[in-house]
Amino acid sequence: MAPDQTTAAPVPLLSVRDLHVRFPTERGTVNAVNGVSFDLYEGKTLAIVGESGSGKSVTAKTLMNLLPRTARVSGEVTYDGRDVRALAAEKVKHFFGVQMTMVFQDPMTSLNPVKKVGEQIAETLRYHLGRSRSEALEEAVELLDVVGMPEPARRVSQYPHELSGGLRQRVVIAMALACQPRLLIADEPTTAVDVTVQKHLLDLLDELRRNRGMSMILITHDLGVAHGRADDVAVMYAGRVVETADARTLFFDMRHPYTEALLRSIPRIDDPVHHRLDPIPGRPPELIDPPDECAFAPRCIYAQSDCLGGVPELSGLVGLHRFACLHPTGTERGMAAMSSNRAAGATAAGLPVTGSGGGSG
Amino acid sequence: MARFLIRRLVLLVAVLFAVTFLGFSAMNFLGDPLFNVVGLMAELDCEAIEAGSAEDTSLDRARSDCETVAEARATYHLDRPVPVRYLLWVGDMFTGDFGTSFQNDQPVAEIIREKLPETLILLVMAQIVSLGVAIPWGVIAAYRANRAFDRGSTVASFGLLSIPNFALGVVLLYLLSLRWQIFPSAYESDSVVGLVFSMVLPAATLGLPLAASYQRLLRTDLITTLQEDFVHMARAKGLPPMRIMFRHALRPSLFSVVTVFGVSTGAMIGGSLVVEQIFGIPGIGREIVTAVVRDDFPVVLAIVMLVACTFVVINFVVDLFYSWLDPRVRAR
Repeated sequence: MAPDQTTAAPVPLLSVRDLHVRFPTERGTVNAVNGVSFDLYEGKTLAIVGESGSGKSVTAKTLMNLLPRTARVSGEVTYDGRDVRALAAEKVKHFFGVQMTMVFQDPMTSLNPVKKVGEQIAETLRYHLGRSRSEALEEAVELLDVVGMPEPARRVSQYPHELSGGLRQRVVIAMALACQPRLLIADEPTTAVDVTVQKHLLDLLDELRRNRGMSMILITHDLGVAHGRADDVAVMYAGRVVETADARTLFFDMRHPYTEALLRSIPRIDDPVHHRLDPIPGRPPELIDPPDECAFAPRCIYAQSDCLGGVPELSGLVGLHRFACLHPTGTERGMAAMSSNRAAGATAAGLPVTGSGGGSG
Repeated sequence: MARFLIRRLVLLVAVLFAVTFLGFSAMNFLGDPLFNVVGLMAELDCEAIEAGSAEDTSLDRARSDCETVAEARATYHLDRPVPVRYLLWVGDMFTGDFGTSFQNDQPVAEIIREKLPETLILLVMAQIVSLGVAIPWGVIAAYRANRAFDRGSTVASFGLLSIPNFALGVVLLYLLSLRWQIFPSAYESDSVVGLVFSMVLPAATLGLPLAASYQRLLRTDLITTLQEDFVHMARAKGLPPMRIMFRHALRPSLFSVVTVFGVSTGAMIGGSLVVEQIFGIPGIGREIVTAVVRDDFPVVLAIVMLVACTFVVINFVVDLFYSWLDPRVRAR
């Protein structure tokens, strides 16, 4: 199904350039997304990783045209050569939901409580593909079967409240897959379900993506979720992509101290018993009137005085390993920054650094 | 479901008992029913008259009056204690006998049969007007929340809510009937079409203020529902906005409106007293005003019972409607 011929001249399926999203509020303008750019190729998975407030969900909602009317958006979003924001403005039919679609975080709330799950799946088929009611319901049963729902024929006539969280998320996935989309945006698809179900759902999504040649944007706060499932990873912080690379490079040769800190905060199976996790000190930054400095500097053990003198730019070209850091980890500049901070006992932003704390890169 | 129905039925009986017993007692203790039937004759000291000499012709008139009084006592069981009278009245009702009006001896059942259809038509039309106006109004206001239309409609709805219905009735009558002559100004019953047409203004008078309050409730609930994830999901499925509005958002947003719909039906019957008066509709509302003023208690009681019955039945229907609206209610 995947058009492999395109590999000769790779054109990204989805291309985002310099995306900015601002929300005017009473307290001031929230700069939710500040100049995000990335490419996603046919059949690939891009993981967007970040803490809450990093702008990853807003980015996803912008792609799907789901932002509230008050949001001010600038930048380019191109899907298969078409300007997505223009398509949305023209209210083009049969684009969202057919070409690209989305799975939300909480299956408890993302299904309509007053409609049978079969109807909710069939609805898309009827509207976009003009199926009759009975055809659409038959296809809904097949889709539920595809997503591994036990007894699909019985489930179509059940209401969401009769299903568990994991099963509901399968319904949501079936709903998203109904019209064979080429791009699936999964916004924290497993955060709200039981840990035991998470892996099943993630593997299911990955399998479906491979079988159908779909592209996927996997949004998560958990680098562990991205590991082994994403081709590329973009790490977001304070509305910016701070590091992006293919998954292997990002996990094993990261440059941004934030990526390093995120990885270090994940428990590992080979950690010694009673090993203390390394949490990232401090809190995510304010997005209203951010100071003109590296947003991670106040929490970064590498921070130097030049980090406070302006927002560092992402290095390099889109598609390469890019990072926005003046003293990248794993480089000589990074080593030097770390040892001078250790010697001083604190970073340039005032974060205390103890001799033993983390650090060897 | 069966248990639900039985519970409701028990409730209906309990409400009817309470309402009629209180009404019956009130009518009997707050005034002398005998006086209401026979007037000043009730004051006659009949025992003294009976005891008087049979030859005394000056007492003949009084004697026949006393016979009338005794007859009235017997007819209306006024010689029995109130609880017994209540039971007798209830018993009669089961046989379809609602008693007769004190005023003109017309059977109460007949009065109701005559006047009820007018009032029912008025109430049903008023609710049609109120929902027919409120649902599109609320939907548009929620869709364009805090924009010009919504702000304007907030002002309009508070305006409608604060006009007393007699004033609204007079304004509508003046504008739509006298000035622009679209609707007739008086009640017509020559044909069904004429009847319905002449009821439009009274129904609007009753229904528009309700529409305003329904609109406020629907707008608020819809705005909340529109922020739900499943609405975002529907948008991500690429469904057009109005389809999302009517197929996904409207139904879960109707709870407050439906609740108030049930409750307001009672208040509406009250409102119909005034409206029937303004538009000259010979309905139950006008009848009960006259009956109360004249202490015509069989009529008052029958109407009170009718209203209570309607109220309980409508709220029963509303409860059934909840379970249609939300399948989660059915599970309980």
